[in-house]
Amino acid sequence: MQIIAAIALNTFREVLRDKIIYAFFVFACLISLFGILLGTLSVGQDIRIVEDLGLAAISLIGGIIAVFSGANLVFKELERRTIYLIFSKPVKSWQFILGKYLGLASCLLIIILMMGGFLGALVGFVDPTSPANALTHLPWLALSLALVYLELLFIIASASLFSTFSTPIMSVLFTLCFWLVGHSCASLQDLAKMSTNPAVSKFFAALYWLMPDLQSLTRVRSELMYGRALTTGGGQGELLIYLTTYILAYVIILLVLSALINERRELP
Amino acid sequence: MTEFSVDTPQVVIEAVNLTKDRLSSFLKKRTRVLDGLNLQIYAGQTYGLIGPNGAGKTTTVKLLLGLLRPDEGEAKVLGAPSSQRENLARIGFLPENPYFYSHLTGREFLTFVGKLFSLPDDLIETRVKNLVEKVSLVDACDKPTGKYSKGMLQRLGIAQALINDPQILFLDEPMSGLDPLGRMDVRRILHELKAEGKTIFFNSHLLPDVGELCDRVGLLVNGKMVADSPVSDIAEGGNFKALEDFFLEHVQAAMHPSKDSKPHSEQN
Repeated sequence: MQIIAAIALNTFREVLRDKIIYAFFVFACLISLFGILLGTLSVGQDIRIVEDLGLAAISLIGGIIAVFSGANLVFKELERRTIYLIFSKPVKSWQFILGKYLGLASCLLIIILMMGGFLGALVGFVDPTSPANALTHLPWLALSLALVYLELLFIIASASLFSTFSTPIMSVLFTLCFWLVGHSCASLQDLAKMSTNPAVSKFFAALYWLMPDLQSLTRVRSELMYGRALTTGGGQGELLIYLTTYILAYVIILLVLSALINERRELP
Repeated sequence: MTEFSVDTPQVVIEAVNLTKDRLSSFLKKRTRVLDGLNLQIYAGQTYGLIGPNGAGKTTTVKLLLGLLRPDEGEAKVLGAPSSQRENLARIGFLPENPYFYSHLTGREFLTFVGKLFSLPDDLIETRVKNLVEKVSLVDACDKPTGKYSKGMLQRLGIAQALINDPQILFLDEPMSGLDPLGRMDVRRILHELKAEGKTIFFNSHLLPDVGELCDRVGLLVNGKMVADSPVSDIAEGGNFKALEDFFLEHVQAAMHPSKDSKPHSEQN
C-alpha cells in the first residue's frame, strides 16, 4: 500500500507541477464570458444555460487533461528512463500502474472540484434575487459532476492501457476513438441490426457488447440537469450505483490489462 | 531465503551461460549482445566490469537485476533468480546517466525511493539525513533535482541506491561524464562503501578508477568475457598503465583473432 501511495503522490505532484491547474483558469474565463453572455440572451433560462455550458466545458477540459496526461502516464517514465529507478526496486507492475492511475485520478478530482465549485458559485451569482432557486440546482449539479468524473476515470484507464504499448500520439488517437465509439453505442447496435451481412452484423454486435455505454452516462447526466428524478431501473440511488459499478468494472479490466502488458515489458 | 554473511566468502552474484539477443525494431533481426557469460562474485568483493562501448556491460547489469530476461542461461543474485523482485529489497542500483523526477527536490526524491522499499517513515527520515551528508548534498537537498549539476545528480543517484542499506550495489558507469572533482567525490564514497563491506559491481570505462577500487576485474568484448582476473595479478599497486596494457591486449586479441595478437599473459 505504501508503494502505491508513494507512486500516486509522485504522479499527483508531477501532474500538478506541470501547470495543469491553469486549465481551471481557462475554464473560469470561458464559462464566465459565454455563460453570462448567452444567459442574458435567453429569457428566464440564465441558470440553465450557465449550467449546461459549464458542465460541457468541465467535461471537455477534464477529457482533454485525462486523454493527454493519461497517454503520457507510462510513456514519460520510459522516455525519461525513470522507470529503471522504479523497477530496480521491489515494485510490482500492478502497484506501479495502480499508483500512476490513482495519482492522475486524484489530480483530476481536484481540478473537477475546483471547476464545479466555480460553476456552483456562478449559478448563485447569475440569480442573486432568488438564492433558494439557485440552491435547488446544486444537488443535481453535484450528481452530474460525479458522472462527468466517472467518465473521466474510464478515459484515464483507457489512456493508461494504450500508453503501456504505444507512443503518446497513438495513445491519444486510440483513446479518442475508444471514447467516441463509447458514445456511439446505440449506433453500433443499429448498425448490427441493419446490416445484411451476418459477419458485419456480428462484428458490430460484438463491438457493442465490448464497448462501454458512455452514451447512457451522458443521457442520465442530461436528465439530472433538467432536475428530473431518475426512475429508470427502480430508483435514482440504484441507477447511480449501477452506473458506478459498471464504469469501475471497465476501469479494473483496463488496469489489469495495463499491468499484464507492463509485466511482460523488458527495459533495454 | 538464504542469508549471506560478509565474513565467509560466498557467491552473491552468479551468471551461468548468460545469453541475450537484441531484436531490431523493424526487421526483427537478432543480434547477440551477451554470449554465454559465466561469472561468480563473492560477498564483500568490488568487481569491475570493463570493456569497449557496446560490449554488453549494461546488458549484464540489467540481466542481473531482472530488468531484462535472459534468452539462455541463468542469473542469480543473493542465491535467488534475478526474476524474483523481492530480492531487490537488498540491492542498490545506480543506472547510467541517471535522470530523476525534476519536479522533486533531492530530499523528496530520496523519501520517495525509501517508500518504494516500504521502509518506515522515521527510518527514511534518518537515512535521508545521513545519506545527504555522506554524498555532500546537505545544502542542495531542498532544491529541485532539475537544477542539479551532473556531479550532484550522480551523488544523488548513489544516495538513492543506498537508501535501503543494500548488501549489493550495482553501479552502471558511476564516474561517466564527471569532472575530476566529481570523480574524486564518487571514488571517496565508493571507498567508504567498500570499507563497510558492501559487495560492489560496477561498469566503467575509466581504468584508473577500476584499478584503484576493484579487487577483481572482468573484461567483456563483443558480449564475451575474454578475461577475468584479480586486479593485483594485473596491476601491482594499482598501476594504471599495466591495466591499460591488459585492456588493450585482450580487446585487440578478441577483435582480430586471426592476427598473432594473443595476449602476453596467455603466451607466457
